Amino acid sequence: MENPIWGNSIFRKKKKEDDILTLLKQVPIFSDLNPRELSEVEKIVHRRTYKKKEPIIKMGDPGLGMYIIVKGSVEISTEEGKDEKNVLAQLTEGSFFGDLALLDESPRSASATALEDCSVIGFFRPDFLDLLNRKPKLGIKVLFALAKTIGERLRRTDELLMQTQEKKSKIHHG
Amino acid sequence: MDKYTYELYSQLLKTSWKVFLIILGIALAVILFPYAKDILIMFIIAWLLSVLLSPLVDYLESKRLRRGWAILIVMIIILALVAFSFSLIIPGIIRTVEALTTKLQSDVINELSVKIEAFFEKNFNNAELARNVTAKLNEIGVSLLNSLGEFFKNVGSFLASMVIVPVITFFLIKDSRRFKRAIISQVPNKYFELSLNILHKVENQVGKYIQGQTIDALIVGILSTIGLFLINVAFEWPIQYFFFIGMLAGLANLIPYVGPVVGAIPALTIAILNNPPNLGIVLIWIVVMFILVQAIDNALVSPLVVSKSVNMHPLTVIVVVIIGGKIAGAIGMLFAVPLTGIIKVTLQQVTWGLKKYSLHSISRLKEETILKPKGGEAA
Repeated sequence: MENPIWGNSIFRKKKKEDDILTLLKQVPIFSDLNPRELSEVEKIVHRRTYKKKEPIIKMGDPGLGMYIIVKGSVEISTEEGKDEKNVLAQLTEGSFFGDLALLDESPRSASATALEDCSVIGFFRPDFLDLLNRKPKLGIKVLFALAKTIGERLRRTDELLMQTQEKKSKIHHG
Repeated sequence: MDKYTYELYSQLLKTSWKVFLIILGIALAVILFPYAKDILIMFIIAWLLSVLLSPLVDYLESKRLRRGWAILIVMIIILALVAFSFSLIIPGIIRTVEALTTKLQSDVINELSVKIEAFFEKNFNNAELARNVTAKLNEIGVSLLNSLGEFFKNVGSFLASMVIVPVITFFLIKDSRRFKRAIISQVPNKYFELSLNILHKVENQVGKYIQGQTIDALIVGILSTIGLFLINVAFEWPIQYFFFIGMLAGLANLIPYVGPVVGAIPALTIAILNNPPNLGIVLIWIVVMFILVQAIDNALVSPLVVSKSVNMHPLTVIVVVIIGGKIAGAIGMLFAVPLTGIIKVTLQQVTWGLKKYSLHSISRLKEETILKPKGGEAA
């Protein structure tokens, strides 16, 4: 254990911030940012910790922003009935979810629950809009990267849809 | 004691402790309020200023200026403007009020007294009643002007203590995000997104409301000043300090329904006391001018700049203005409506949030962990 008198808390804090910056850099919407721009983003994100089984977001709640997993794992699921749920994915460190909520307040399409004690970073729409207002150049970089990520996802969805349609027509004709 | 009872007992203890802390907090706030009132007012003014100036600071920051420098530039410009206006207006106002007090005690009131006495004698045949009425009126007039003079002298000392307000404003603008993050970090996960969303929505609406009201007050102030200037030009300057009176009308306009009437009173009083040859026509023009300004404000300015989310019933306005006056005098009356507006917006947003967010399903998790302890000991 580190000595509280001789331990250098300043450098330790710097190390922690560096870890956060490295993690942010891995997220597609922040990957084009330089270290100075990343530290601007770091100033407006929220760090939260969740206990095992604790909900992070609930399906149907108004969307507010995205989360990046720093530590632990998170289950993404949809609620089918009152007590039934459909697990969509299990995300681990460095993964992110809820990025569509950066664009509007539409209800969350799925729930996210902590599978173990975990630590996340939240990046929210009001802070993003404020960033766009104060630092337009940086904001536009993030917005453009977000558009690219969503575009990429749409392309993949289109491909899957086409594959499904092809399969469906083969079944019909064959 | 089994685990289930133990968990329930500890939960009850936690809740009781929270309730106790809340009651203690409220009691402390009530006890300390008289002592902390001045500081609280300073903080409220600084906060309102920070909301008002933030868009300008944000704009300068978007032009690649560092936030600290942007705040300094905006505040220096605003302070210079305020200091310049006050150095021009305040000494003159104190002199005028003092001169008016003397005048009231002498000729004008005497003239009026004679007229009133004659009226009562003629109509009611009671000179004593007439003398009582005029003496009372004289007393009220003098005490009113004395208190007005005191108010302006107090404004001087108030301004001196206001040196601290710009300092608080500076830090509120500079570190507002840090403060918000610190507050929101203390909110339990269950209410985190709800609180953050409400905080941003309230901030947004309150910002729009305060900025809109200020622009509206400024426009009403400018229009009233122009109107009074035109009356002055047409009737050989019956209203001195028309700039101050015009701007005062703008400031009074911050109080809906009551403000426009209050704004017209100083101009009418000064015109009456100056007693120009065509007093009746001057008074009619002053009233017409203020009605015209209100019509322009209601039809053109207000709908464009003032947020409708804070609309209040006239009765509510009157009640909160009275309460504000009781708590913090003239300043309290001025800030009563905006502060009530802020409370209204906050309540609206909290209600919205509680309807939209599924808090019940989160608390269900808590119930599960309490009611189904590991190993089925509760069963």
